[in-house]
Amino acid sequence: MSATARLAKNPFLPLALGLILVLAALVLPPVWMLIRGSLTLANPDGSSGAWTLEHFTRLFADQTLLTSTANSVLFAVSATLVSLLFGGILAWVVERTNAPLKPLAYLTTIVSLGTPYILYVSAWLYLFGRNGPFNDAYRSITGNTDMLFNVFSLWGMVLVEGFLWSPLVFLMLSANFRAANAEMEEAARMSGASVFATIWRISIKLAGPAILAMALFVFIRNLESFDVPVLIGMPGHVRLLTTDIYTSVTQTPPQMGHASAFAVLMLAMVAVLLYFYGRITRHAERYASVTGKGYRPRPFNLGRWRWAAGGLIGFNFVIILLLPLLALVWTSLLPFVRPMRLKFLPLLTTKHFAVVLGSPPFLQLGINTLIVAAGAATIAVLLTLLAGWLAARRRPGGGVLDQLATMPLVFPGIVLGLAMMELALALPVPIYGTLWLICIAYVVRYMPYGLRYSYAGVLQIHRELEEAAGVAGATVAQRLRFVVAPLLSPAIVSAWLFIFLIASKELSMAILLAGPTSQVMSVAMFEMWTNGQGGELSALGLIWTLLMTVGASLFYLTLRRQGGGAFGH
Amino acid sequence: MQQSLGRRAALGGALALPLAASLPRTARAIDPGLIAAARQEGTVVWYSTLIVNQLVRPAAEAFMKKYPGINVQYSRQTVGEIVLKISNESRAGKLVADVFDGSSGIFASIPRSMVAAYATENAADYDPDMRDPAGTWTTVNSYVYTTGYNTEMVAEKDAPKTFQDLLDPKWRGKMAITTDPTVNGPPGLVGTILTGMGKKDGMEFLRRLGEQNLVYVPASQRVVLDQVIAGQYPIGLMIINYHAVISAAQGAPCAWIKMEPVVESFNYLQILKDAPHPNAARLLAEFLLSREGQTLFRDNDYLPGNHFVQAKDPTLKPSFGKFRSTQMTIEQAQNLPEWTRIADALLKK
Repeated sequence: MSATARLAKNPFLPLALGLILVLAALVLPPVWMLIRGSLTLANPDGSSGAWTLEHFTRLFADQTLLTSTANSVLFAVSATLVSLLFGGILAWVVERTNAPLKPLAYLTTIVSLGTPYILYVSAWLYLFGRNGPFNDAYRSITGNTDMLFNVFSLWGMVLVEGFLWSPLVFLMLSANFRAANAEMEEAARMSGASVFATIWRISIKLAGPAILAMALFVFIRNLESFDVPVLIGMPGHVRLLTTDIYTSVTQTPPQMGHASAFAVLMLAMVAVLLYFYGRITRHAERYASVTGKGYRPRPFNLGRWRWAAGGLIGFNFVIILLLPLLALVWTSLLPFVRPMRLKFLPLLTTKHFAVVLGSPPFLQLGINTLIVAAGAATIAVLLTLLAGWLAARRRPGGGVLDQLATMPLVFPGIVLGLAMMELALALPVPIYGTLWLICIAYVVRYMPYGLRYSYAGVLQIHRELEEAAGVAGATVAQRLRFVVAPLLSPAIVSAWLFIFLIASKELSMAILLAGPTSQVMSVAMFEMWTNGQGGELSALGLIWTLLMTVGASLFYLTLRRQGGGAFGH
Repeated sequence: MQQSLGRRAALGGALALPLAASLPRTARAIDPGLIAAARQEGTVVWYSTLIVNQLVRPAAEAFMKKYPGINVQYSRQTVGEIVLKISNESRAGKLVADVFDGSSGIFASIPRSMVAAYATENAADYDPDMRDPAGTWTTVNSYVYTTGYNTEMVAEKDAPKTFQDLLDPKWRGKMAITTDPTVNGPPGLVGTILTGMGKKDGMEFLRRLGEQNLVYVPASQRVVLDQVIAGQYPIGLMIINYHAVISAAQGAPCAWIKMEPVVESFNYLQILKDAPHPNAARLLAEFLLSREGQTLFRDNDYLPGNHFVQAKDPTLKPSFGKFRSTQMTIEQAQNLPEWTRIADALLKK
């Protein structure tokens, strides 16, 4: 068979091959850097020397590895459950029922996705800390000198991490619940199923692949989480694998071989998880519920449960948005941190805001961050839209694309940052210390997330729509442009928004990649926190969060309307 | 060993002020050729451990005002990050940094062959132990690390006065310390204890201090003090004494204790041999070390290294305030790996 004939038989092949080349060039070099780093000794000048198994033997010989691993797994599993239950129920309530106060849920999600984690963690630490309003009130009421609860514990970490990621779960699952066919739920209700039976047997089952995919990603993200284990775990003497890495990376000289050995270990763990994930979603077609037939999701009537659902939305609003914001406002207006008491009101000052607004470098920081985040989101979404489509439709090369785009998941951010830095230094192009490098690193890191959005989105669109276009003579490009992309637009929007917002807060890679001319907001904020400029950090954080919220909500609302239109309302 | 009680006080206290008065007030003349060559380069890149808004930014702005056309690009990092970046850049033959500063731990990690000797015009302003005879480093400023407490939670009479007082069971779980893995953090505390008490008593003390369950705060010494001020912990170890003075002046409930021997640490300014902007690097170093540059340090409450620019409150320095210190010199920092090991085993748990 000639090449032309093969091409005519499979018009997807050139696209798949081209994509494989691009993704391989992005993903494989850092993996190689990681494996080499874990198997070589570092020379005094930092270059890699002789081959060795020392990093692995040291890792396994360390008695604390077991404690750290157990803590990490317990932490990641529990926090994933908290996010999943809280965010998932909320998404269903908001998208599928007639609960009141729905706008509060969107508001909370959008603001929280724009808020850097470090702001959240420091606000919650302030609120739940020894001198925060809760423990303070407990002491005033009971006369006790101790604390009601100690946030610096494993369960404090689980709660904070769970709350940190529940808005993301909400965002991902709400897209899914919105697009799923409500006729099945209605059919179940009409056949006499109770509300909970319907949720359990229809809604959750239909969202199955999406929930599993997300649980896996949140779990992995928790496993490699950096902020909470460092800021809460270290003072609480809770050792996690990531804190061990962080400590070895920040020692002088940095123990990068040790960190790389850990990452290779994690690569193996995640590979096993992904294998099971692949098995579960093999027969994914039975979940396809967006078909060519007309459908229109109708809200579920909760009856007397309506206000309980509203209460949940209200609780989410208070704990994820209102209280942290209040804490930030309070700390941004005080010359130094004080408990929330009326007697400190005379101390209030706007000097932190004056400092922040009066410094031109902060403007540059904002611009840099927006450029990098928007660039990374656009590139990653374009690449993974194509890759996810080919993979979900099981086109030739689709499996390879799936694996390539998923591979970066195994990198803890700080190790990927190091690998990218070494790569940039080894390349002949002068990319080190530029925003380009940060942008490329973000693309690599967030491709798996983009892929999950597009993959899960494609799974929900029945093949018949594309096949109809193919029969009518549409080319590959036309099928993509006129059938797949419009139907996928909720997933594309969610993916772009998600990557943009998460990239604008990324810290663990940027801290190694940001040069003097390529600083980004998260790094500046982390430095402000570690330097003890808490008041300025709160002031800058409030201004930045406001800006991101305005941008995020405009974008979200505009595209959501378009997305709705694409479904033929 | 490195214990000094007013070693420089005799020299500093008695000679500094009359000498300063007799010397010309203007800065020493800078070679116009150097300025011209620096202008040609147009840029200088500074990796600093100093805090941006308190010092780096004002210093960069003052430099750019004095030498228009030379842009200062700076990046604030920890010693560990600076070492990592410089060694990687050097390995790839693409140095970005020109000038860097950091505490004595930096010497073990950046080979001496990588740094340049620079004959500063201001060398005579610095005491012999504050500069390298070979000219590869100059002490741009110094720090005093000691114990601080929250004055609302602890009355002055109840505050610990000596290291032994820290072993009181009432402080168990209530003392915070930075995670900074240098002589300015837990390893430095180990160093001053072992130097002050001797190996045997020192190790016994550290073992008992570890049982007090120290809280490791993953941030700088400034944050530890802020958390003490906020009432999160009544006692902060290894905080910087002038930070407590600055905050107390603003009304914060905190004070520092002369817990002897305190840790005295130094910030060393160095230039890379293969710096991409060698002349601008030298000009920036000259500026930071000059009396004009050092006055910026003083005005921002830092302890200047220049003999003729006295700190706002000189008694914060061991030499003037007449209290014993362990100086974390370059020689002492060779013990850093050992101290780190002891700190991790006994204090961190």
